[in-house]
Amino acid sequence: MIKIKVKCFSQVKYALGVDEFVIELNAGTSASELEQKIRSEAGGKLDGISLRIAVNQKYMPNNIELNDGDEVAFIPPVQGG
Amino acid sequence: MEMKWHSFHRFRADNNMIKVEIIKGPISFFPNDDTREQDGAELIFNGRVRATEYGNSITALEYEQYEGMAEAELKKLAEDSCQKFPIHDLFCKHRIGRVEVGATSLHVVIWSKHRKEAIDAMSWFIIELKKQVPIWKWAILEDGSRMPSKCEHDH
Repeated sequence: MIKIKVKCFSQVKYALGVDEFVIELNAGTSASELEQKIRSEAGGKLDGISLRIAVNQKYMPNNIELNDGDEVAFIPPVQGG
Repeated sequence: MEMKWHSFHRFRADNNMIKVEIIKGPISFFPNDDTREQDGAELIFNGRVRATEYGNSITALEYEQYEGMAEAELKKLAEDSCQKFPIHDLFCKHRIGRVEVGATSLHVVIWSKHRKEAIDAMSWFIIELKKQVPIWKWAILEDGSRMPSKCEHDH
């Protein structure tokens, strides 16, 4: 098993109601598999919202395999400026 | 003394100076600098909070950041701008937290030899900022409620 810290922002935070949480996953889980879990947890509130994946504060491809201790964020469309 | 300043700026023209800051309080503008003898253009952009967001009247925006990554991405964009366009220096401040309607949320200054490259670089920098930098807006509505803004990077 691996432990992943998930950071939540904007619509993800709004949908899940938390700033961050820690989740235990099977070794070899990909970021996109975790994204599916989170979308399912959000119960449709993230439908139609594109999410980019950041691992340890860097944008990464969705199929990246996660490692124990990673910090993951699912980044909704950003809105700076 | 004059020669010293002259060589200082020539050195800077070959080595872009970048300043990037994420600020939690009101933005103070970068101070005026009349010693830039190699820069024919100084372009300033201030982004301010509009009174409406997606058709709703708002009292303020609250900017949320991914702490650490937001500043790193902003710095990377500033560096990329200096690589992509023949500009000299790029300074940027982005405010986070609550920003009242009318207040400045983004302050960018670009210096370059001529105006065109500064204008092109400014446009590119702000477009990319709105695609890459993990900062989000929460709309504070007139009834006090707080909603993630649906406003995306298409304007």
